[in-house]
Order: sequence, then structure tokens, then C-alpha cells
Amino acid sequence: MNFDQFAYPLEAYGLPSREEMLDYRIWDDHYHGIDQHEEVMRYVTRLGIERVISLDIGGREYREKAHREILEKQRDRVLGIIRIDPSRPEESVAKMEQWIRNGPCIGIKYAGGNEGVTCSHPNNDPIISLARELKAVVYIHAWIKVGGNPRRLGGDNGKSESSPMDVAILAKRFPDVPMTCGHSGGDWEIGARVVRPYENVNFEFAGSDPHSGQVDYAIKILGEDRIVWGGHGPSRCLANELSKILDANLTKEQRMKVFGRNLRRVCAPIMRQKGYSVKI
Amino acid sequence: MKTINRRSFLKGSLLSAAALSFPVQRSESAVSAAGRAGPGPGIIDTNVHLGAWPTRRLKYGETKALVAKLRKHRVEQAWAGSFEGLLHKNMLEVNERLVAECRTNGDGMLVPFGSVNPVWPDWEEDLRLCHEVHKMRGIRLHPTYQNYTLERPDVPRLLRMAAERGLIVQITTFMEDPRVHHSNLLAPEMNLDPLANLLMGIPNAKVQLLHAFRSGSGPNNRQGLIESTNVSFDISNLESNGGVHRMIEGRPWEGRGRPVPLPVERILFGSHALYMPFENALLKLFESPITTAQFDAIARNNARRLLGRT
Repeated sequence: MNFDQFAYPLEAYGLPSREEMLDYRIWDDHYHGIDQHEEVMRYVTRLGIERVISLDIGGREYREKAHREILEKQRDRVLGIIRIDPSRPEESVAKMEQWIRNGPCIGIKYAGGNEGVTCSHPNNDPIISLARELKAVVYIHAWIKVGGNPRRLGGDNGKSESSPMDVAILAKRFPDVPMTCGHSGGDWEIGARVVRPYENVNFEFAGSDPHSGQVDYAIKILGEDRIVWGGHGPSRCLANELSKILDANLTKEQRMKVFGRNLRRVCAPIMRQKGYSVKI
Repeated sequence: MKTINRRSFLKGSLLSAAALSFPVQRSESAVSAAGRAGPGPGIIDTNVHLGAWPTRRLKYGETKALVAKLRKHRVEQAWAGSFEGLLHKNMLEVNERLVAECRTNGDGMLVPFGSVNPVWPDWEEDLRLCHEVHKMRGIRLHPTYQNYTLERPDVPRLLRMAAERGLIVQITTFMEDPRVHHSNLLAPEMNLDPLANLLMGIPNAKVQLLHAFRSGSGPNNRQGLIESTNVSFDISNLESNGGVHRMIEGRPWEGRGRPVPLPVERILFGSHALYMPFENALLKLFESPITTAQFDAIARNNARRLLGRT
């Protein structure tokens, strides 16, 4: 199996060449491959992704040493953020001290808490206040799942699962803290409208089926400076996630923003603070 | 010693390897012609729908725009169903409009696959018209939107009649992630379990499953179908990093159940355009480190062979 070869050149099929993919300087804010890292990175490298951010760092003691080693030895390719739990603000803050202030990580992810606590809960204030102080990247898993009885938008959300509406509440409370509404809120047509008024909210499409026209729409609603890209490998294919952007009517400059520059702008303050190299 | 930064290394190693491995050298004309020329086969896209999606105006909703988009990516033939087949009751006219649209705006690329609903009255006539009048090569079923299961008694009868006519039967298992349905629409998950038994009695049936890799349809369903039938699959929702080659090798990431390789001969290119971006399916062929023979088979040859049997 040779990962360095393609059956045919990408550009022969109307796709960007691999060299063009490299030129886009693609940063992946949604990497789930840390526990199968070597294997997953073969696909990441194959399609020219410059850097990935793992959202699965820490939390499992038996993996922590391996995670730290990857983050230290492969810093030019892999960054990390930790999961926090809004139902346990004190534990979360302690984890941020350990992994961000005194460790290699650059941010936090809301993956959904316990006990019905979403990211909009007041529990989050000490967490976000510390994130502001550390200049930490803030990623929020957000979905609107249709379901319930009667069927309605968000009716099938987990009881601790944040929605774009929760992101909007949090963003309004902390207008000076940049944060990312993950998964385009699940339902991107609704999600983009929910977060539109909050300039500190970026929008990311990873981890959902690709829909033609969705990025054109999001840029129309939110502007080209508020879209960031994620790969969601290995469970989602890079083809899926890349196609969302390639489908959109964007100039090269716009593609570069969406594929990486917007995310680098969010990451740069804490990266520079930590002495990590970053060129926006 | 001259140091090489990571970026230069990435560029250099892959480009030099690619230059050695591409069977035909890359030419400027291949690039400038936006994919019309160049190495590699044209593509047969087996999963395209025309018309209006019920809950959203789609970007390439005008057939001419869709055809131009597909041409850009070197599609030479696309098997086209109709979104109207999901919810309309008048299949006679749905299929007539589909044929007219393919003929008028298809630029010789679009091959109509009519809709037949085997739980509505007089479906046998729809099947006959598709074959004898419209000269179709296949039909497309939408059980989840037309609200029937494969256990309904008319389903095996339809499969048998289609096989006798030499028609390909495409079964769409999903159209859209159920989590983002319009709240007034309820298209249940498709149960593929009965299919293997149904097909045992119809050895000459030519069945292709569309959009069948969503995890909700269950790995066990796929394993049984792979082992005990000759059904084909399209790749439109074959997810995970390197999903295509890992499916061929029988080692999906999910690791649930017993891994069963899917023979490459049974994998067909299908994009689910215009609902999904065409680039999604196309890039899957590049994300996976497959050989030129595997690429050719999936992109075109397997579909040709399925058609050729008709």
C-alpha cells in the first residue's frame, strides 16, 4: 500500500492538484485520530493537510503519556485541546490549569456534559473566564437533532448536548471570547441564523453529511472570516469534509481563509504565548 | 547539510513519487481543460437525482448546470432518478418528465432510471412503461420515502419482473441524515435484512444499493449481503478515512462484527449529486491509495459491466 502515489492526478478530474492543496495551508480543527495516530496521519498527509488539532487529549490516564509525546514531538503537525465538562466546573478548571497553562494544549472542547448541563449553563462562567485569561481556543459540539414527541427541531438532542442556541447564549455572555460552533450546529440552515448576530462565533462543518451549497449559504449569512474547517477523521472521510469547501464558489483567497487562515487567527495568540511557531 | 522543512518535504516526496507513478504524464492541457482531458477513465455516476429536493433549493438544481458540473469532473454518463419519485403519487408523469428532462437538457450524459412504487396500484404498468416505452436500463426504488419495507409481498415480485426484463434495480437506502430531516418528514431507517433471502430465489436480479453505508443500516446487513448475494454498492456515503480501500480489504475502522472484504467489482461510483457535493465521491477515489485498476473499475468499468448484462 503506497500512500505516496495516486492512481491519476487529482487535477485531471477537475480537482485542485495536491500542490494546490498544500498551498491552501489546510488546518483541521477536528481530529479524532490521536489513538490511531500514525495510521490516520497517512491520509492526512496524503491529501496535503498541514496541521491537525486533536480534541481528545487527556482524560484517560493510560493514554496521557502517549498524547503528550505526540504533542511534543510533532508540534509542527499536531496541536491538542482538552475536553471539559460544564457539569464539573472545578474539575474542568483544574484540568485547564494542568493541560493548558502548565501543559502542551491550546484550548478546550465542550463535548456535552452530564446531568443536563449544556454550554449555556452559568457553570461555564469560571471555565470561559479562564479560557479568556489563557487565550484558549474554545470548541463547542453543537447539534440540532430533529425528533421527540411531538417532533421538533432539537427534540432528539441529548439532555446535555449543546445546540447553536446554547452557543449563542454563551457568546452573548462572553462577547470578547472567540468560540466555534461545531458541526454547523447539525442543521446548518438553522444554525447559521442562530449564531449570526454574535461576531465572536465561528462556524465549522465537520462531522456531518456534506450538502451541496451549505458553505455558500454560511458565507452569505456569516461572511468568509467566520468559517473554519475540520476533518473529523477517522470516522468521517477527508473527502466528505473537503468537498464541502470545494463545492462552494470561492476564490483561492477565500478558500485559504476557510481552510486554515481563520483558524490560525484564533489559535495564534495562545500559540505565540506558548512559543509555538505559527504564521497566519 | 541543507535542512528541509516539513512543507518542502511533503511537497517533494509526494510529487516525485507521483511523477514516477502516474501512468500518463500530467500535461498542461489536462489542467486547462478543467478535467475534460488527461489520464484516467471517464466516470459513470450511478447515483444522480434531478428536480427539486422537497425542502431546499439545491445549488445545481437546473439540469444544465448539473451536467456542466459533472462534465467538469469528467463524468461521461450519469444514471438519473427523480426527486419527484420520493413523494409524488403520479409516477406515470414523474417518469415522463424525467425522460424528457434527460433528453432535453442532459447533453447525452443522463440515463433515466424511473421510479416504481410496488405498494401502489398498477405499479406493474409503471415498470412496463419504464422498460418498453421509455427504454430505460433500470429503475430506482425509494422505500423509506414511499413508506414500505422489503418484507412487503410485492417487492420480490417486482425484483423478479425487473430481472426478467433485464433491468437494474437501484434501492436507495437513505437520502438524507435523519437527524436533519424537516420535522414534518419521517423517513424511517431502512432494514436491509430481508434482501439476502429475497434474492436467493432470483439469481439473475441486478440490484444496486445506493447510499447504503450509513452506520444505521448496520454492518451485519452489509456483511450478509456481501457474502450471500451479488448486490453492488455505490460509494456516496462510504465514510471514514480511506473508506474505499479499507472496504475492499475488509478492515473498516468501526471494527464491529466480522470484517468481510467487499470485492472491488461490486463497488460503483455514485455521488448522490445534486444533494451532495460531487467532489465528495470523487475525492474518495483519491483519499484511498487504490491502484489504477481499482480506480478504473469503480469509476467506470463496473457500471459498464452491470449495464452490459442488460
